[in-house]
Amino acid sequence: MSMVPTLARRSLRARIGRSIFIGLSILAGVAFVAGSFILADSLRGTFDNLIDGLTGDTDLQVRSTLEVDSLDAVRDPLPRELVDEVAAVPGVALAEGSYGRYAQMLDPDGKPVTTQGAPTLGVSWDPDSGLSGVTLKEGRAPQSVDEVAIDKATADRIGFEVGDPIDVILRDGQESFTIVGLVGLGNSDGFVGATTVVWDPASAAELLDDGGTVDTIDMKITEGADIEEVKAAVADVLPDRVEVITGEELGDELKDQVGEIVSIFGTGLLIFALITAFVAAFVINNVYGITISQRLRELALLRAIGASAPQVRRLVLMEALIVSVVATVLGIFGGFGVAQALIGVFNASGGGFPEAPMVFKPMTAVVSAIVGIGVTVFSVLLPAWRASRIPPVAAMRPETGFEALSRRQHLIRGSIMTAVGIGIFVYSILVRPGSGPQWGSLAGLGALSTIFGVTSLSGTFARPVARTIGAPLQRMLGTAGRFARDNAGRSPRRTARTASALMIGVTMITAATVFTASLRDTFTRILEQTTSFDYIVLDDQSFQPLTPEVADRLGALPELSAVSPFRNIRAVAAGDTISVTAVEPTAIAQLADVDVTDGGFDDLVGTGGVMVFRDSAEERGLGLGDSVDVTWQNGVESELTVVGVFGDNSLGANWFVSIEMLESVSTQTPADQFVVAKRADGVTPEVARAAIDTALADFPQATVQTNSEFIEEQEGQINTLLTIVTALLTVAIMFSFVGIAITLALSVFERTREIGLLRAIGMSRRQLRRSVRAEAVIVALFGVAVGIAVGMVFGITLSYAVPNTVIDGITFPWLNLILVVVVAMIAAVVAAAYPAFKASRMNVLEAIATE
Amino acid sequence: MNSTAPVPPPPSSLVAAAGAIDARKTYGIGDAAVHALDGVTVSFEPGRFTAIMGPSGSGKSTLLHCLAGLDSLTEGAVFIGETYLADLNDKQLTELRRKQVGFIFQAYNLIPTLTAAENITLPLMLGGDDGDRTWIDRVIDTVGLRPRLKHKPSELSGGQQQRVAVARALASRPTIIFADEPTGNLDSNSGGEVLQFMRSAVDEFGQTIVMVTHDPYAAAYANRVVFLADGKIVDDMPDPTADKIIDRMKQIGH
Repeated sequence: MSMVPTLARRSLRARIGRSIFIGLSILAGVAFVAGSFILADSLRGTFDNLIDGLTGDTDLQVRSTLEVDSLDAVRDPLPRELVDEVAAVPGVALAEGSYGRYAQMLDPDGKPVTTQGAPTLGVSWDPDSGLSGVTLKEGRAPQSVDEVAIDKATADRIGFEVGDPIDVILRDGQESFTIVGLVGLGNSDGFVGATTVVWDPASAAELLDDGGTVDTIDMKITEGADIEEVKAAVADVLPDRVEVITGEELGDELKDQVGEIVSIFGTGLLIFALITAFVAAFVINNVYGITISQRLRELALLRAIGASAPQVRRLVLMEALIVSVVATVLGIFGGFGVAQALIGVFNASGGGFPEAPMVFKPMTAVVSAIVGIGVTVFSVLLPAWRASRIPPVAAMRPETGFEALSRRQHLIRGSIMTAVGIGIFVYSILVRPGSGPQWGSLAGLGALSTIFGVTSLSGTFARPVARTIGAPLQRMLGTAGRFARDNAGRSPRRTARTASALMIGVTMITAATVFTASLRDTFTRILEQTTSFDYIVLDDQSFQPLTPEVADRLGALPELSAVSPFRNIRAVAAGDTISVTAVEPTAIAQLADVDVTDGGFDDLVGTGGVMVFRDSAEERGLGLGDSVDVTWQNGVESELTVVGVFGDNSLGANWFVSIEMLESVSTQTPADQFVVAKRADGVTPEVARAAIDTALADFPQATVQTNSEFIEEQEGQINTLLTIVTALLTVAIMFSFVGIAITLALSVFERTREIGLLRAIGMSRRQLRRSVRAEAVIVALFGVAVGIAVGMVFGITLSYAVPNTVIDGITFPWLNLILVVVVAMIAAVVAAAYPAFKASRMNVLEAIATE
Repeated sequence: MNSTAPVPPPPSSLVAAAGAIDARKTYGIGDAAVHALDGVTVSFEPGRFTAIMGPSGSGKSTLLHCLAGLDSLTEGAVFIGETYLADLNDKQLTELRRKQVGFIFQAYNLIPTLTAAENITLPLMLGGDDGDRTWIDRVIDTVGLRPRLKHKPSELSGGQQQRVAVARALASRPTIIFADEPTGNLDSNSGGEVLQFMRSAVDEFGQTIVMVTHDPYAAAYANRVVFLADGKIVDDMPDPTADKIIDRMKQIGH
């Protein structure tokens, strides 16, 4: 039997509490990381299955071409006659025109059923053809124009049952129906978060369409026919800008799109998972470092009786390996739980995700092992190396610790890493000689180097800073505060490393809040300058575009002097996909001041003109009167003339055309992002508002906001973003407090004798507890102070890096930062609870007798 | 080693198991320099029990640490058997500690997570060596630990712990055992037992032991007492008794 593994096992068992804590930190970090991988893989797998079910029976599909690779671009509809023409092609057994259009359900109170951004769909369904993936869950299929089926996920959420009446907002207003069935997609109850209303094909054509069009034509081929031959034959009868693809190609395309969405979503989760793992790694590193100092005598004794340096290194490494392997395996199991829990959370908020069988790929295991085992082993390499260099005399002279080892080295190394880190960060963010993701990675590397550098450096200034922070506590708490202050300053390296995990979390929160708050203030300031409309109408619940009926009805009101929709279309100009905004050129000048520097909206009237944002124009060398060739998303080509240049794109528009222009190139159902309006002279706000509300009574999804309400809401949305980011980062921060609790408990243990002495000469338990709590607060505030300082450097640099049109000044989010300080102080007191209890319960005589 | 004097060849192992030649150890520099060892030349005969005594700060512990290779000299040389320690690298020094040197400290002598039996064989196992079973059994019986072998140190009395430490030191049959105040933490009964075991290790097994102590009664177990004061050897007393030692210490000014 070899001695090192025995020692490692025994040591772990003897210090089981510490081992469990370190294990839990690793487990939590791994569970987060594994969970986000498992979730992404599972969702991808489930959606792929769903798509296979959806397109499985469709052999061929005819649809309009789409020239841009953009998820939110909608294909033009097809002429209805094409269905019969295609059906007549030899080899086509069945051809069915189908719809996927706007249909917003209203709940029994008349409020729109919200989707948080997912589509509100109205679709056609022929249960006999089997061409769509819709499956009946309850009741029967709708057969007449006053019957509908709705998706079961929404029905369950709102409380609709078969037989209930339901109101649905369509293109031209509200209609009432009876629910005769509940449906799902394949074996799932929902449509992946979309609310879905289903009609029979004839009723769908009547209700959803007015121009004799269909969205796609789904086909089955006759048995035994060659799909490629039929496809070619169908292609021969198709007009320009219409294409035919096989069901398989369609499935692959959908899978790619879903995969892209899942990847974005998974990446977002993963970023927070990795931040959590990073902070956990710091905590693990610190606990190992501190406990090794504590075990100094034991390791020195081993050295004195003949253990070699490599044996001591192996011992420390092996302990870490045992804990991290066990924790990583458990963490991967935990990952399944995290993935399930996340799906549950999304479904509870109306996600309608199908029951997802969990998918576990080898990649998940590899990444989990790197995070769990790799980070842990890396964390103990340095402590292990130092432990092996313990001079054996340390066994007899316990005061020979680590502290004296390399103060100067820390100072030098820390300064270099900090300086180089900040240099790289500022260079890659501000100077940025080129663009591309590699500069982002470089900036990340710089940030990392800065964080490590400051961590290393902070030991050298922990003493004076901790003493300064502690000064008011000493005044408040007297002797107890005095001891807290001395103890925090007595071992500056330990104070610094205990605070380092917290410091990282606070750095990230500060950087994120400084950036977001600056963004918010610039944005609202510019919006105030830009918007001169009195009212804006939009769907702020489901974030779906508005039917043009809204703009039409507002346009007819005499109480309003100017009305314009904002309607988007995608196009390709000089190889780039651009988003073009169509507005009413005669009205827009009254509604928005976009800082027109050349030309004007007057020349946009009619077709053929385009207004270009100054930066976009400069990028392409465009000026007034120049012509620019664009290919619209549906494949139609136009040559546009630049009739104006403007300098303010805060409304999200870089290219303006007239509504007339858009309608001349696109046949799709118009959809407005929002509609803005100005009150006519002499009309009171009350009268105008009443007129608008009456005109839009049929469209409860359309919310009317005044100019200031709109700006407040925009501000509120950025604030919400700020809150979400802060909340997610707080999870990481909570880890650091567990670290503070452990370190304090160890400090208390080390000072047993001293505490006994203090108690013997008359310090009360209360004073002792108070002193430990105060020490925790000082350590936490030290971490917060350094974190805020570093975070501000990052946040300000980021803010300067974005163009002035996005951020033109720095806002310090004092309120958020004060909140961080307060939360940190409370968390510190909580973290100190157990160590303080331990200290106050010590038996005085035994404590003094402790060697 | 900064010594400019030519280093003499190591004395024959028949003459000395270990020793120091003009050993100097200085802490600090200039006016602040403290000479913990100020030119100590001493050798320890094999198969004998030697005590080193002296007032606090006399350098006796430093001498022991340097002799054992736990600490390095500023000047001079120390040797164990036929080896000059200054010639060894860390790996060789580790090997030497494992095979040729045994240790008994005042306190914190045992690894708390290992049983008594495991603690005894630890130096051997660190070298991947099972040791001489018969010998180890004999040692265990001599120190009377047989019924306590499966106990952890926390379950043993102070005297029992120190006996385990003595057994551990003996287990590898080292050239020399160094003991640093081995009875400093024990009551006089337990201390007496431990010293008696050390005495019998010398008498029965021919073990060489060098012990630092404060206690004249402990030193009286030795064959010889070396007195240190201010980093220098001030006396060397063969066949000591407690009374003789106490008299001598009064002269030194203990």
